[in-house]
Amino acid sequence: MLGLAKRKTSVTTGGSLPVVALLAAVCVFLAIGCAVSSIFAQQTVAGLAQGAIYGSLALALVLIYRATEVINFAQGEMAMATTYVAYQLTIWGLTFWLAFFVTLLIAFAFGVIVQVVFIRPVQHSVIAVVIVTIGLFILIDGLVTWKWGGELRFMAAPFGNNVYRLGSVTLSRQDIGVLLVSILSVIILWALFKFTKIGLGMRAAALRPAAASLVGVRVNWMLALGWGLAAVLGAVAGMMTEPSTFLQPTMMQPILLYAFAAAVLGGLESPAGAAIGGVLIGVFMNLIGQYVDFATAELRLPIAFAVLLVVLLVKPNGLFGRRQVRRV
Amino acid sequence: MRHLPVRQLLVIGVAAVVLALLPFQLSGYHQTLAARVALYFVAILGLNILTGYSGQISIGHGAFMAIGGYTTVLLSIHQDLNLILTLPVSFAVAFAAGILVGIPALRFSGVYLALATFALAVSVPQFPLKFSTFLGGSNGLRTTVTPSYLWLYGVSWACAAASFVLAWLLLRGRIGRAFRAIRDSEVAAASSGVALPIYKTLAFGVSAAYAGVAGSLLVLVTNGYAQPGLFGILVSLQILIGAAVAGLGSLRGVLVGALFIALLPTVAADVPVIGSTHGQDVVFGLIVILVMILLPNGFVGLLSGLERWFKTAIKSDPKTS
Amino acid sequence: MGMKGKLLAIVAGVSIVAGISVTVASGAKQADPGISATEIKIGGTFPLTGVASLYKTIPAAEKAYFDYVNDHGGVNGRKINFTILDDAYDPSKTVPLAQQLVEKDGVFAVFGSLGTAPTLATWGYLNSRKVPQALVATGDSYWGFSYKKYPWTIGWQPDYPGESKLYGKYIAANRPNAKIGVLYQNDAYGKNYFAGLRVGLGPEKGKIVDAQSFDATSPSVTQQILSMKSKGADTLVVFGTPTPTITALVTATKVGWNPTATFINNVSANRIFLLAAAAGGANVDGIISSVYTKSSTTQANLAGVKLAKSIVDQYVPSLAASFARGDGNIIYGMGVAWTFVYALQNAGKNPTRASLMKALHNMNTSKNPFVYPGITIKTSPTDNFPIEQERMVKWAGGASGDWQPFGKLLSGVR
Repeated sequence: MLGLAKRKTSVTTGGSLPVVALLAAVCVFLAIGCAVSSIFAQQTVAGLAQGAIYGSLALALVLIYRATEVINFAQGEMAMATTYVAYQLTIWGLTFWLAFFVTLLIAFAFGVIVQVVFIRPVQHSVIAVVIVTIGLFILIDGLVTWKWGGELRFMAAPFGNNVYRLGSVTLSRQDIGVLLVSILSVIILWALFKFTKIGLGMRAAALRPAAASLVGVRVNWMLALGWGLAAVLGAVAGMMTEPSTFLQPTMMQPILLYAFAAAVLGGLESPAGAAIGGVLIGVFMNLIGQYVDFATAELRLPIAFAVLLVVLLVKPNGLFGRRQVRRV
Repeated sequence: MRHLPVRQLLVIGVAAVVLALLPFQLSGYHQTLAARVALYFVAILGLNILTGYSGQISIGHGAFMAIGGYTTVLLSIHQDLNLILTLPVSFAVAFAAGILVGIPALRFSGVYLALATFALAVSVPQFPLKFSTFLGGSNGLRTTVTPSYLWLYGVSWACAAASFVLAWLLLRGRIGRAFRAIRDSEVAAASSGVALPIYKTLAFGVSAAYAGVAGSLLVLVTNGYAQPGLFGILVSLQILIGAAVAGLGSLRGVLVGALFIALLPTVAADVPVIGSTHGQDVVFGLIVILVMILLPNGFVGLLSGLERWFKTAIKSDPKTS
Repeated sequence: MGMKGKLLAIVAGVSIVAGISVTVASGAKQADPGISATEIKIGGTFPLTGVASLYKTIPAAEKAYFDYVNDHGGVNGRKINFTILDDAYDPSKTVPLAQQLVEKDGVFAVFGSLGTAPTLATWGYLNSRKVPQALVATGDSYWGFSYKKYPWTIGWQPDYPGESKLYGKYIAANRPNAKIGVLYQNDAYGKNYFAGLRVGLGPEKGKIVDAQSFDATSPSVTQQILSMKSKGADTLVVFGTPTPTITALVTATKVGWNPTATFINNVSANRIFLLAAAAGGANVDGIISSVYTKSSTTQANLAGVKLAKSIVDQYVPSLAASFARGDGNIIYGMGVAWTFVYALQNAGKNPTRASLMKALHNMNTSKNPFVYPGITIKTSPTDNFPIEQERMVKWAGGASGDWQPFGKLLSGVR
């Protein structure tokens, strides 16, 4: 965990020394806690796995925000819908992993179509885009419920149900698998942005659309690409969370909320920040729930949002975001 | 703004007469429906002041509605206050809450403000669950008196009328100009002497106060029950959608926005094939999206477009040129 | 005000006076709406969409039963016309829908409405309008206790605190050294269950070593389960709606905690959910719950289940697969519908709303084919709890197993 944090800062443009120091301190605190108390360790491990899911969805949010400067309120529902598609594929006979990859392709197309059909006509106005994404939220929810009904459905477990013991801490294969998949997504995304021409084009289109189009970057297509990739990430998050929440139309809604907090915590512009923010939120919520009596179930969401608000007040660009200069 | 021209006075007068007569032609069920339109009218008006006139996005007005609604119920239960008297208190409490929120909100803008207010909207309904002895928990609290339909209709439309007049007065003068200047360009407004913090916070306060009254009315329309489920995130989204459909930045379309939000779910349920169960959401979502894409300025934009077309049609008439 | 203004004011004033007089003059006494020589109109609000939509099989089953009754002559020659409305478990939708049923659709009674919060939001209204709110689908005990203040409302299923009292008594009697961890939903539903458990445990209340609440919308209960494990609990009691209950069962296994005994409430004890929990890796053998309706799987040869199956096959075949897998909601729905028809038949040749309520408050029958064998549906002017008996069941057979009853039929749950 410590090594991972340090490696990421050399990649991100936003990581600064105080933030890295803070993260290092957090890692040390967690390590000590895990060594001292087995329940602390277990809660942390559980929080890591849950946080990885928040991070995946937060990553999708950040991707869209970086590309198009909007928050996609429908991200969770898009993720949920693509998970239902995966479910349908498994019903039709595909194995889980085959359905997984086919769904990623479908999700990509879905994201692109949404951007082109629904977002592009209104992208000049922040409020209009916000409302269109809200409308999409409601529409997608309605469509999924119409097609598959609201009752619980269950998919085959992707990683099996085995549990492993590490000392007094139990780790399930599912949790490990989720963590690995999330880390993999972050790395693939980072590599995409850093090393490929398309990634470069996307970054250019987000930062300087006019200049980018002058040098031949097809800005509109880059935006659509961003939405497609975000939808893929959302699908990953959805399929990774299905074993815990099962398939129901509301499955991604609470996760979206925590993902908002994670994205803001990490910095709305920073993919690495989203991932780290997600993990931090996951661990934090578990530890708070364990050790603070006042923090009962009803307050979990308000606490996560209190974190969001505090971050917005103290360091609006989050842990890894860059300071924005507003042109007059 | 000069004083209202005769034509607008006439429109308002006719509307007032229709409103006064309407309840006697409607069944009780339709009276409550009309009361719902009125309360959404108030809420949308408030949000319009904040978002349309001073340019601050809020997806959190459900929180202020919750504050207003619970204020009414608590006053009714603990102080046995007359229901009508709880409304100004609700207004004041929500106003204070709005100011409290508006002050830190000064630091946010655009998407960040949207997220912060969204956080508020999701968090506030959790508090009655936490403090369930005082705030009734998940089952909610009930006012001691349940008003009749006619009462609901009359009071809610009286509130709608009063809030409209208040908004009009507020927006026609210096305050309104300051709001519009802030919306168009904060930097320009600040550099021409508009005290940003005061006006932005005031906008929050007023719009929250409106939402508070709307929340009280919503509780009364729901048989006097204040439950956390009444003020979920959906309400905040509905009000934002209503304001956008109405057309931000103008008072003219607010009624259309209110009708849209209050009646569309009932209408959508009757759409054949996809109607009834899940169809509601599909139709509602689709229409919201279409309206935003086709009419980005909402109903007001449609009106202005029609007026312009009408005027050019007259101008090109050879008889009048 | 100018001339125009004064004119408008006069017109408005006259119209208002005219309107008032018209309304006053039109008040007249009418017979009970919703009932004619050929038809009885009823309606109810159910979560067909939204968070609780897994209960939507209940109204479908109820309608199927009414269709069956209609095809066999109806009730005293009248066919039952049942309107099902979707309130998505949202009280703000339930209220206008209830008003619509009463005032626009003119129903004779509101039947089977589902959900505590939605029912609470409408019982004041329905009682003040003297509209029967019959056999509501929620086990909270308000309906049973408040019949003096709300005489037009009555429930059906055994109430939640009564049920959890059974679990408490069982633990106190059979597991003297238990260390109990309670996981309860943080709304009135879960809290009432928890209260009942403590009543049942009596002086053994101290056995509860950890009580954790969870929000019905939270995506995981891992932190709460871990907390219980760390406090040394060896008995898990889960009071929640189905999804978090299954999640809790699966989580317990995932974190390597295998409580010696687990209790879940019967709302979540639908066979389908246990199968899912098992598929998700939970150890389901030995889980204890309770039932009050017949099982479509283990009691398939009983007459009532055969009847239910034939009704499903004929009137709502889309539910046949679910019925075969043991979805208890279907038989539940038919049980409630049967009770309503029974009450209607005892409400006289020409039922009125008042006579229907009288019949509902004076029920005494063990002939309901859908409830567990031996259960009597009984109410009286002082006893507003129709069903007060339950049978405890224990799961056996793992991932393809089923509920097996043990002990005897317990009475006096309340």
